[in-house]
Amino acid sequence: MQVQITVSGGQVTDVEVLEYPDDDGRDRQINARALPILVSETLDAQSADIDVVSGATYTSEGYTSSLQSALDQAGL
Amino acid sequence: MGMPVSLALRGRHADDTAARTAWAGALAVLREADRVFSTYRADSDVSRLSRGESGLEDCAPEVAEVLALGAMAERDSSGAFSVWRPGPDGDVVLDPSGVVKGWAVERAAALLRSLDGTDFCLSAGGDMVCSTADPDAEPWRVGIEDPADPRRLVAVVPVSSGAVATSGRAHRGEHVVDARTGRPPAAVASVTVIAGSLTWADIDATAAFALGPEAARWLETRPGRCGLVVWADGTTTTVHPVSR
Repeated sequence: MQVQITVSGGQVTDVEVLEYPDDDGRDRQINARALPILVSETLDAQSADIDVVSGATYTSEGYTSSLQSALDQAGL
Repeated sequence: MGMPVSLALRGRHADDTAARTAWAGALAVLREADRVFSTYRADSDVSRLSRGESGLEDCAPEVAEVLALGAMAERDSSGAFSVWRPGPDGDVVLDPSGVVKGWAVERAAALLRSLDGTDFCLSAGGDMVCSTADPDAEPWRVGIEDPADPRRLVAVVPVSSGAVATSGRAHRGEHVVDARTGRPPAAVASVTVIAGSLTWADIDATAAFALGPEAARWLETRPGRCGLVVWADGTTTTVHPVSR
């Protein structure tokens, strides 16, 4: 990977990518059928048939009341 | 970064010394990323770089890697995503957190990939890397939270191998802005992206969210990704993967 940085008065003002970064993960494929399936469920860690929850950034403060916390405690 | 991190393991090393060593290593990777990149720590490499007290050559080499990813995302999103944002006193400040989180968790997951015969799901603050040792094994089932009501799900994604990231307004307030206007987008409530790496799932979720009404159309152009856009009115658009 090569990056060109423009510095003006000690401040970085521009970063330009000269070459694609070598990020292994970029070429890692997702599995077929990894498509969202629409559902409408009220969440309950005991009955929800899920392992983990994706949602807009949970903070540590929000975690204790989150479904993810309940799933972790249930040891699913 | 102040976010909860969870790890689920299944299989050969589900509960042994190798698993505990890998978990400790994964946490060390995340702590190191926080030390270098945190915008909340005045002494982090990124805080000093942002204040102009040090140059990129004084920073950990990973800072250049993250800034390059940020530059690529800015280019690909026509400027809606940027690691530069207006500061409180009119200056432009460096805030690479939109890149760092997914990138750091993807790096941490590398330690778990070394556990043979073991499935893992490493989740940090609502984004996750999933892997099953056997591609035909039962996939991890990832619930996508309803942005209007965090007690409900809008969708479930079965993931054997891949990463899932969601960007939205819930939990932390309106923290994602369209870098072109400095305002949060109004049309979209959340964007979930499934990709091969969490680095790009996270970047693309944030960029698509910042693009507002263009979120689904833009995501459709991204090779190797699929996802779900939940609009402000509660309707959804499922984005199918395009071939490269």
